Amino acid sequence: MRVLLVEDDRKVADFVARGLRAERYNLDVAYDGTVGWEMASSSPYDVIILDLMLPGINGVEVLRRLRARGGTAAVLVLTARDSTADKVELFEAGADDYLTKPFAFAELLVRVKALIRRPPAERAHVLRVDDLELDLLTQQVKRAGKRVDLTSKEYSLLEYLAAHAGQVLSRTMIVEHVWDESFENLTNIVDVYVRYLRTKVDDPFPTKLIHTVRGAGYSIGEAKEP
Amino acid sequence: MNTRSLKFQLIAWYAGLMAACLALLGAVTYWALQDSLIGALRESQLRRARQVAQLLNDEVAHGRETQVEGQIESRYAPGLNGRLIRITRRDGAVLYLSSAPRDQSFDPAALPPPIGSDSQMETAGEVPLLGSRKILLAAHPLQTPGGARYLVEAGAPMDEVQAELRHWLMVLLGMLPVVAAVAVGGGYVLVKRALSAVDRIAISAERISSYNLSERLPVAQTGDELERLSVALNRMIERLDAAFQHSRRFVADASHELRTPLTIIRGEIESLVKSAELKDEWRDRLGGALEEVDRLASIVEGLFAISRLDAGEAAAEWVRFDLAQLATSTADQMGLLAEDKKIAVTCVGSLGIWVEGDRARLKQVVVNLLDNAIKYTPDGGAVSLEVKAENGLAILEVADNGVGIPPDLLPRVFERFFRVDEARSRERGGAGLGLSIVKSICAAHRGRVRVSSEPGRGSRFRVELPLVAPMAKENQEPNNREHQPAQRS
Repeated sequence: MRVLLVEDDRKVADFVARGLRAERYNLDVAYDGTVGWEMASSSPYDVIILDLMLPGINGVEVLRRLRARGGTAAVLVLTARDSTADKVELFEAGADDYLTKPFAFAELLVRVKALIRRPPAERAHVLRVDDLELDLLTQQVKRAGKRVDLTSKEYSLLEYLAAHAGQVLSRTMIVEHVWDESFENLTNIVDVYVRYLRTKVDDPFPTKLIHTVRGAGYSIGEAKEP
Repeated sequence: MNTRSLKFQLIAWYAGLMAACLALLGAVTYWALQDSLIGALRESQLRRARQVAQLLNDEVAHGRETQVEGQIESRYAPGLNGRLIRITRRDGAVLYLSSAPRDQSFDPAALPPPIGSDSQMETAGEVPLLGSRKILLAAHPLQTPGGARYLVEAGAPMDEVQAELRHWLMVLLGMLPVVAAVAVGGGYVLVKRALSAVDRIAISAERISSYNLSERLPVAQTGDELERLSVALNRMIERLDAAFQHSRRFVADASHELRTPLTIIRGEIESLVKSAELKDEWRDRLGGALEEVDRLASIVEGLFAISRLDAGEAAAEWVRFDLAQLATSTADQMGLLAEDKKIAVTCVGSLGIWVEGDRARLKQVVVNLLDNAIKYTPDGGAVSLEVKAENGLAILEVADNGVGIPPDLLPRVFERFFRVDEARSRERGGAGLGLSIVKSICAAHRGRVRVSSEPGRGSRFRVELPLVAPMAKENQEPNNREHQPAQRS
């Protein structure tokens, strides 16, 4: 997977690049809009991570030019602004997704993965994490073959964790995915739900699947080696 | 009545001046009238004295001095007319004295004898009678060709003059309240007209808040103080606007500038945490640092949101929706938070309370208020959520029976970073922006939020928003996930 990162702040670019390379992405980095545009227009990338405030050509302009030339790369915009008007402008210019600074690297990773279109065959109806099984169609959950009864919110939470098994998901990501953006300042609701979820999914079993990662969030299953 | 008001003072001055003018005019006319009435009486009595003197002169010339009496009685009938005529000889003997008038207003016999009868000049003067009455007496000295000298006196009581003057005084006194009333009424109308322009300026100024500082007052093109007032107010609003914009830009810029360093700090710590060779203790401490970065990020986010709302964020995402339905479904979504603390959340009110606005933002109002209520209510308490329509307003009330807020701190609860109980709120991870965000959202929706509280018994937050007409049935979004039957989720 070829990914292009266009970000003028070297420190931001550095840790994003380090993280993505650790995830085995084939990554190129450009530190200004002009170079970014040259690279984006000369090589086929699967995903372009584009900062908006760039020296040279700004992010929105790079995006417009790319789309005007029929570039099909998925574009994830990094922005320090998040007013409604900006979002509308971005999607109109052809962005596929955006991420507001400051973001958790895990969230960037989840979004990049989502943008890389996988063949539909890979989409299974059953998610498995160790001996935990989620049926995405019937929304039934089994652990070690025994049925676990969950409320719909608990199920949404478990499904979100399981879909990104091995990855740490921040509370903000969980809140925005399972609830909505109005709850963004209410991350303690995640802790309460995770606690309830644990009593049903983990407590009766010797192996604990749901992990708390201090300062980062929650993950399910064994953490992938970086 | 407000006696300090400009209106009252102007009217009082106006009425007072009018009354003073009337009093002055009345006094002047009174003296003038008195003067002219007395002058006329004096003239007529002098004339009568001359006529009688002429008559006497003629009669004496014919040696018929004694017949004068008959002549006078038949010509002038002074007794009948209420007049006095007296003829005195030089030696003091009274030749003729008219009889007492019919109304017995004076007694001719009681008059003092004439004085200064040596004078060759006509005189006239007031002679006091009994009581306060006076008689005007005109005297004409006569010397017949035969050398006999007489003094002819004609007089009339001054009662008539006094009655006339009294009448005029009555008229004046009667007019005084009428004029005062007219002055007050006229003054009221005039002052009201003059002040209504000020009133209009005040009403338009009242409409201007920090959310519409770009508006200006209408300037009255009168070229006077009123125009100066509205222009001066407009300049003041302009300066306020600039100051507000400056501070908003500062907050927006500051929160914007903080985002990149925060991204870097978080990114670097995250990648450190991931490295395998890290000791568990270090990992934990770095995790603690990450939690603080999160808190900082949420403060930056909150400040940015407030500055955008206060700047009058574009109403592009405004839709019409049922506030009661939003409140109920939000309470439902937060059910577990309350359940966790064994707090009973009751929803009161019926559906169909329609408002217009940014649904996500108004949902945040419900979320923040409910979260607040749940946070500050001890385990086993109760929180109630009520949505109702009242006087054209949509009302959302969140009440709890928790710790409450001390009265002296009540006005400050909507301030940024204000916490009633510093230690406890920090431990619960609040940034202290939740209620100021609520306030800004309400204001941006032309509404407001108020709070009342009794320490130890609970608090009540009341949100008021303009009520709008319900949306037609066919326009309702059927695919809204919150329309699903309520299930504990």
